[in-house]
Amino acid sequence: MGHTDLSVARTVTAALSSPPVSASKSRDTGARVEQAPPLLQACNVHRLLGTADLATQVLRGVSVTIDKCEYVSIVGQSGSGKSTLLYLLGGLDRPTQSDSNGEAFVPASRVLIDGADTSELDESSLARLRNEKIGFVFQFHYLLKEFTAQENVALPMLKLKKWPKSECLDRAAALLKQLGLESKLARRANRLSGGEQQRVAIARALANEPAALLADEPTGNLDKRNSELVAEIFQELAAKGQTLVMVTHDLNLAQRARRMITMEDGTIVTDQVLQPSG
Amino acid sequence: MLWFISQRYLFTHVRQSLVCIAGVTISVLMFIMMTSLMQGFTDKFIIETVESSGHITIHDEPREAETKILERAYGDKNAVLVTEGVKPREQVKQIKDPTGLIRKVRSLPGVIDAAPMVNGDVTATYGTKTYGMQVFGVEPDRQTAVTTIGEKVTDGAFHRLKKTADGIVLGRGIAQTLGVRIDDSLVLTSPSGGRTIGKVVGIFDTGVTPVDYGRAYMLLNPAQTLLNKKSIVNEIVIRLSDYTQAKEAAQQIESICGYKTYSWQEANENFLKIFAIQTIITYFITGALLVVAAFGVLNILIMAVLERVNDIAILKSFGFSRRDVTFIFVQQGLVIGLIGSIIGLILGKLSVEGLRRLPIKMEGLVKAEGLLMSEHLSTYVTAFIATMVVVVLAAMYPARRAAGYDPVEVIRGAH
Repeated sequence: MGHTDLSVARTVTAALSSPPVSASKSRDTGARVEQAPPLLQACNVHRLLGTADLATQVLRGVSVTIDKCEYVSIVGQSGSGKSTLLYLLGGLDRPTQSDSNGEAFVPASRVLIDGADTSELDESSLARLRNEKIGFVFQFHYLLKEFTAQENVALPMLKLKKWPKSECLDRAAALLKQLGLESKLARRANRLSGGEQQRVAIARALANEPAALLADEPTGNLDKRNSELVAEIFQELAAKGQTLVMVTHDLNLAQRARRMITMEDGTIVTDQVLQPSG
Repeated sequence: MLWFISQRYLFTHVRQSLVCIAGVTISVLMFIMMTSLMQGFTDKFIIETVESSGHITIHDEPREAETKILERAYGDKNAVLVTEGVKPREQVKQIKDPTGLIRKVRSLPGVIDAAPMVNGDVTATYGTKTYGMQVFGVEPDRQTAVTTIGEKVTDGAFHRLKKTADGIVLGRGIAQTLGVRIDDSLVLTSPSGGRTIGKVVGIFDTGVTPVDYGRAYMLLNPAQTLLNKKSIVNEIVIRLSDYTQAKEAAQQIESICGYKTYSWQEANENFLKIFAIQTIITYFITGALLVVAAFGVLNILIMAVLERVNDIAILKSFGFSRRDVTFIFVQQGLVIGLIGSIIGLILGKLSVEGLRRLPIKMEGLVKAEGLLMSEHLSTYVTAFIATMVVVVLAAMYPARRAAGYDPVEVIRGAH
């Protein structure tokens, strides 16, 4: 597939839906950025896993702000807390509010998605927020094997209920076509190659035109060629103003982002703006 | 949308789903068949007994026991008077002023008619054969107005009693046991020494064994003579427009007439208790089948949930709530229950019709040609509702378990 796939990636730029105009403008005009809340914000975020004496502190007071249209990579060793931070930023998990002695963290440990505090939302409201604003891509594709590629991509749209079912399927088909999978629309997810599956997963994450695309080791399961393809897709998406936060072990991939956060032992050790490679 | 996912999950493993549906179908089918069979038997017994014996019977026992004469005289419940060499007088029980009482009862709302009766045990002798039975002395017109016994006469006719002073109408079982036919004569002897010749003018067949093997009808006057109860009426049989109201009506009549009055339910209490126990056993067995079917649903859904832990995690990651996930799996149970129930109801209906046509001769408490199948809409409705409730309850556990999965934990586990 190599050349074909890479050329497909190059056409993604033109084809994928454009970012919201306001987001684009907000990047250009500093004054307007200040008025709008940051897209993703972690304030003194702590995360303890386990209970009582056996609790492990995965995150220790992490604070970070990610604005619209940013392309951020998070790197660090295994166990540094980068995936945990990503799940918290995406509302898939909630920050711990108090330490193992029951004392509340000061200032409060919280995550805000587009201004909404995830700790204050009930389970279904948080699910709704994820559906509307967040798209996740994981190391493993997690496609539903009973469904075709097209149906897998349509599922988040069907959940959103913004479009009728036929339109959801049409939009899913268009997305897959843009990712070079037009011939695989009706193929069951488990009959696709690894690279194809991950592209379907990316299409699914983009289905509801999310404010932020969060990727956790998106190339971790792919060979070099498919990793490159995914990297290019991300690059093109970022170029069009898609907010992207990516956790990776791959430094080459991480350095393609515009900002790189390095984590160690549950804290952020560096947060640097990267120069465009060329 | 949730339906879109659940039906796809359900029909991915067609064989498993079909086995599960078959389990539900069998339990519904068995419930309908067994309930119809038991109900058919019960209905036959009740209808035939009630219709041939009357809805309510006034007996010759006073409503409240009279205060003992010694208690009245000495005011002591335990008073004892010792007498020697005195023969106690035989007390003849009877209903006083039966004609007036019948008139009063007939004027009550819901009462169609009331008929006087005298009854007692007699021994019938035909040739060398003797048979103990109960003779009912009746007025034929009144009797046929309060019971359906006239319609049950298969040989001869009930109204022939009117024209034949010594006529007797026998149950089919008695006639067969004695070997008598229409116009044969029997010798009837009562325990009090009364003796008469009875000419068989009719043979009835109610299909209820205790009735067909235990009863004979005569005219009121000859019966009173035979039983040595001259001018005595010891029972009044009443027919209501609605036999289900018999219990309440019996209480009302008892308070008016002052005699013990029994509804058909009270008169057949022992049989009704047996039927109630049979019904409980039927429900127990079919309930057990339903529970087995529910375990089938539980099992298939637990497997489905375990198999789809990753799917649940990803569905939650893109916005499915706990409720959505619960619905996805409950809907699968619902579909299994719905398809299984509908097929079960259809097969149940066909089975009832089929069993009814089977040429099986039954002769026990009731006699019938073919299986007695009774169909009530409530049987089908109960089968459907009970199945759906049990199946949905069975689906709730795996569905809630699925909804409880933490996507982060699942995703971490897969790393």
